[in-house]
Amino acid sequence: MSEVDDTQTLDREQLRRLFDLRSSYNAHSGGDYTDDPYPMWAQLRARAAVHEGTVHELTGHAGAASFHGLPFPDRPHFSAFSFASCDTAYRDDEVFASSPDAAGPEADDISVTSSMLSMGGARHRRYRSLVQPSFVPAKAQWWIANWIERTVHLLIDGFVDDGRAELNVDFAAAIPVLTITGSFGVPVEQALVIRESLQRPMEIVEMLEPIVAARREKPRDDLISVLVEAEYTDDDGVTHRLSDAEVYSFAMLLLAAGSGTTWKQMGITITALLQRPDVLAAVREDRQLLRSAIEESLRWMPTDPMFSRWVTRDVDFHGVQLPRGAVLHLCIGAANRDPARWVRPEQFDVRRAPKPTLAFGSGPHICIGMHVARAEMAVGIGALLDRLPNLRLDPDAEPPRFIGMYERGATAIPVLFG
Amino acid sequence: MPDQERTREIAVDRELCMGSGMCIVYAPGTFAHDEATKAIVIDPMGDAIDAVRIAIEACPTGALSLTSEEERG
Ligand code: SF4
Repeated sequence: MSEVDDTQTLDREQLRRLFDLRSSYNAHSGGDYTDDPYPMWAQLRARAAVHEGTVHELTGHAGAASFHGLPFPDRPHFSAFSFASCDTAYRDDEVFASSPDAAGPEADDISVTSSMLSMGGARHRRYRSLVQPSFVPAKAQWWIANWIERTVHLLIDGFVDDGRAELNVDFAAAIPVLTITGSFGVPVEQALVIRESLQRPMEIVEMLEPIVAARREKPRDDLISVLVEAEYTDDDGVTHRLSDAEVYSFAMLLLAAGSGTTWKQMGITITALLQRPDVLAAVREDRQLLRSAIEESLRWMPTDPMFSRWVTRDVDFHGVQLPRGAVLHLCIGAANRDPARWVRPEQFDVRRAPKPTLAFGSGPHICIGMHVARAEMAVGIGALLDRLPNLRLDPDAEPPRFIGMYERGATAIPVLFG
Repeated sequence: MPDQERTREIAVDRELCMGSGMCIVYAPGTFAHDEATKAIVIDPMGDAIDAVRIAIEACPTGALSLTSEEERG
C-alpha cells in the first residue's frame, strides 16, 4: 500500500489539535471532566441497579453533554449501573431500541445516524450481514497485513531514534484513522482532512465518490471493494447489495465509531501498563499476556463508558418503572466493575480468567469493529514492546491522567526508551 | 472414563447467529464461521468446557446452547 508510505508527512500539530481530549472539539461529550467517576459509580450501583437521571448528572458533573442518547431534553432519563441490567437491555432490542425512531431512518439520508447504528430488527440484520464478513476474527489478519502493521511501524520509525515520544497523539491516535482511511483507499494526506470533516459528511462523501465509482468499475483488495461487491440473499430469494448512499453511511459510521474509540482505548491500555512496570515487564516477557491486558483494559476502563437505549413500551425494569419513550443510559463503565461478576473489580489485573465484558456492547448491535480494534491494539502495543527497549514513563514530564466523561482517555503519554 | 465416551453437543441457532465472532474469541478450537458468516462447531471437544461455557454466554444474540455434556475428569 503506497498510500501509507508517507506517514511522516502527517502534520503533528494538526493531529494534536484534533485529538486533544480537552480541546473544544471534544468538550461536548464531557472532555472537561477530570475526576475519577468510578467511586461514585460504585456507590450508585450498590444503591440500585437503575436510577432516574443521566449518568453525568448522577456522577455529579454539571456540564451539558451531548452523546449517544443525550441531550433529548423532552424525554425522561434513567441510567443502569449493574452488569445484569445493562446486559439485559442490550440483548432485548424490542423493548430497548437503539434509536428514538425504532422504525429506522430513511434510506437515502447519508449520515452516521442513518447507518445501521440506529436501524432495528430485520433491516439491521440484513444490512449488517452484508458487512459482517469483513469484520470477523478470521479477517483480522487481512486488516493487519494490509494496513495496520505498516502504519504502526512507520509511526514508530518517526520517533525510534529520539529516545522519547508522546504515545497518545503521535502514535495511538494515528493508527485507527490511518487504518480505516487506508482500507477506503484514501491517500494519507486526506486522512486528517477526513477526521476534521466528520461533522460535515458531504465533504467526506465527495472524497469517497470517485473511489466508490472506481471500485464498482474495477474492484481491488480493499474495504470499499468488499462493500460494493457484497451480496446477500434473503429468505424470499431476493438479492441485496449496498447502494452508494449505504456505502457512504457505513464508511462514516466506521470513521466516527472506530477512530476515536480505538485510539483512546489503546492509550488507556498503554498507560495502565506503563503505570505498572512489573506488569509491563511480564507482558514483555510473555506476549500471551498482551491479549489479556487488552481485554482487561476494556473491562477496567472502556473509553466510552455509556451507551443509550430508547424504551419502546412501559416496563418495570429492576424495580423502576420506565415509561415508553424514556431514554435508558447503560453505564457499562460501572457494569464492567460489578462485584457481582468480578472479584476485586477496581483492580487492573491482567491475569483474570477470560469473561465477557460490555466494552463492545452486546445484543444485535454489538460493535462490528471489535476484532479490528483488538488487532490494532495488539499490533500497536506489541510493536512498541518489540522496538522500544526499556520503555517507561518520562519521570520529568507530567504523568498521564485519565479524563473525560463520555469519551474517556489518557491526557499525554510521555515516554523514554533505550 | 475413556476418551471416546466423552461427548459434548453444542447447538447453533442459525437464525439468531449474526456472525459476531464472539464465540471464536473465547473458544477458537470449537467454533468457526462458514461461508455465510454463521457459527459452526468444528470440534465440540476443541476447548476446555469452561471456555465453551464462556463462549456460549458471550454470544450477543443467545444463538448457542450446550445441549449435552458428559465429561468426566
Ligand atoms: S457469538 Fe453468537 S452471534 Fe456471534 S458468531 Fe458466535 S454464534 Fe454467531
